[in-house]
Amino acid sequence: MAQRDLADRLGISTAYLSLIENDKRLVAGSLLRQTADALGVDLEFLSASRDARLADDLAELTSALGLGELSGTPSTELASRHPQWARTLISLNRNLQEARDTALALSDRLNRDPALVTLSHQTLTEITAIRSAAEILAQYPTLEADERKRFVDIVATSSDRLTASARAMLDMLEGPDALVPASTPAREVEDFIIDHGNFFAAIEDAAPAIIGQLPEHGLGLSAVLAARLEDRHGVAVRRGNGASPAGGDRIMTIPTGAPEPTVRFTLARELAARELADAIEEIAGQAAFTSREASHRARRALARYGAGTLLMPYDRFHEAAETSRYDLAHLQGSFNASFEQVAHRLVTLRRPGAEGIPFAFVRSDPAGNISKRFSLPGLRMPQFGGACPLWALYAAFASGDRIVSQCVAMPDGQRFVFIARQVRKGAPSSAATEARYAVMLACDAHYAGRLIHADAAGPITQAGWECRSCPRPDCAQRAHPALNLSARPRAVIHNTP
Amino acid sequence: MTARILVAEDEPFIMESLSFLLRREGYELTAVPNGTRVLDRVQAELPDLVILDAMLPGKDGFAILEDLRRADFGQTLPVLVLTAKGQEADRNRMMALGADAFVTKPFSNQQLLAEIARLLSARNAQGSAKGKPNHGP
Repeated sequence: MAQRDLADRLGISTAYLSLIENDKRLVAGSLLRQTADALGVDLEFLSASRDARLADDLAELTSALGLGELSGTPSTELASRHPQWARTLISLNRNLQEARDTALALSDRLNRDPALVTLSHQTLTEITAIRSAAEILAQYPTLEADERKRFVDIVATSSDRLTASARAMLDMLEGPDALVPASTPAREVEDFIIDHGNFFAAIEDAAPAIIGQLPEHGLGLSAVLAARLEDRHGVAVRRGNGASPAGGDRIMTIPTGAPEPTVRFTLARELAARELADAIEEIAGQAAFTSREASHRARRALARYGAGTLLMPYDRFHEAAETSRYDLAHLQGSFNASFEQVAHRLVTLRRPGAEGIPFAFVRSDPAGNISKRFSLPGLRMPQFGGACPLWALYAAFASGDRIVSQCVAMPDGQRFVFIARQVRKGAPSSAATEARYAVMLACDAHYAGRLIHADAAGPITQAGWECRSCPRPDCAQRAHPALNLSARPRAVIHNTP
Repeated sequence: MTARILVAEDEPFIMESLSFLLRREGYELTAVPNGTRVLDRVQAELPDLVILDAMLPGKDGFAILEDLRRADFGQTLPVLVLTAKGQEADRNRMMALGADAFVTKPFSNQQLLAEIARLLSARNAQGSAKGKPNHGP
């Protein structure tokens, strides 16, 4: 009988029949009966093929568990004689695979925190117990009923414990009281900046005095900064490539061919480190860094912050941002700054009483490694990469030097505006030394009316934070299966994940 | 003669599965759930093989292995270490202390049984060379 004829007689489409024939859809109940009637075979014949599928699934399971020699007859026998047990085993195996994926996903995020190490050890212990018991169930079909029950109980209890430890891990990573200690100096400094809400009043307050002393410069600011470094601090600024010659901090080398925004920023950072040293010390001195490197990094980060305040003075920058509706390209032009510098400065517009739009910030390389990020409450930037592939952050790499804007809706209904652009670092003349990143700003869609980039955002993208926490079943871009977190209330998102 | 295996493992479910497996395979088993008692039990029972969990309460696998290799009854005893840590550092440390084999959790039963069989047959080969009786499952 032709496929179309059979489909017609069953009152279903040929496409659906095709899915059934290829085991993509289960057929049962009246449809199964009708099919048997239409084909002139008895119900058992069709059910027998289901047993065969069950046996195939079992064979797949035994081979997945490395029990290859068990495939074949025993799995067919188990499928036909104990179909319930066979199905139980298959679903246990599926759970085991999911648990293993969960453990892997979580171990990705593990750092050296002892509490997390303990939890991950517990998780592995539960997985070991489940795997061992499940294998015994699969491997010894002649188990006594009480033995069988005992191992099924072990699997069930261990699964519950596994769920509990996985939740404890998630709570520890995301929960409100759970500050996972920073694992690297870079992350420690990141947390330090986030703890200060990306705003350092002492530096902002000290900057105008320095700006006031700079002579009128038009667009020749880098010459003015270089002159001040030389006059006041005895630092000679030279152009060239390669390492600075001997002379320590008395000679500064600016790479030949570096774009003007980079030159200005480098000089301003040097000046900030020297002239805003008191403010920087006041802030960094109060923090308890766990290593000398973290402490040095923090001071360098504060010097970069200081450079931002010198090149893009708060009040003037804030006003320009508001009047241009946060037009990043316009701000780049007005302040002769790079996209990343402007994006960075926008994040710092948090002065009480004169706040700009609250933005989160993230910078990624083309492989998805995150090298800089600032989260906001409710707007969590990924810590280890692997954010939702639908984010403009990733589209920016395929958009040349164009600014990409996007309005996204998260699975829980929250909406955000994303503004991203690719940025290049390193010598523009040599492809070998050029690095590419994408920088993205993100804010609540509530502020869309104040943002020129939201006008061009196009239709709303149904996105997520990252695949594992995203329940959208029909996403074509899904990279990882979703973890089943339905029993767990959505985590309250805090700025320190 | 049946090979005797001492299992030092604190997690009851894993112990239960191991007991079932090892007995099914024809081994005799001594279960020791606490690190502090392992050495005494090894001395009392003189098993053919020890399966040692690296993270035991009371006294961890590293310390036990160290003491075992110092004691005259434990110098040549095959020791298979169960570790939840796949990290090279831990393995290297265990190796330096004289572990004969590692199985990383979550292990497959087959893999574990294969390692046990391998270690026992190596011991038997050594044993017959020295004129000791053969042990088999």
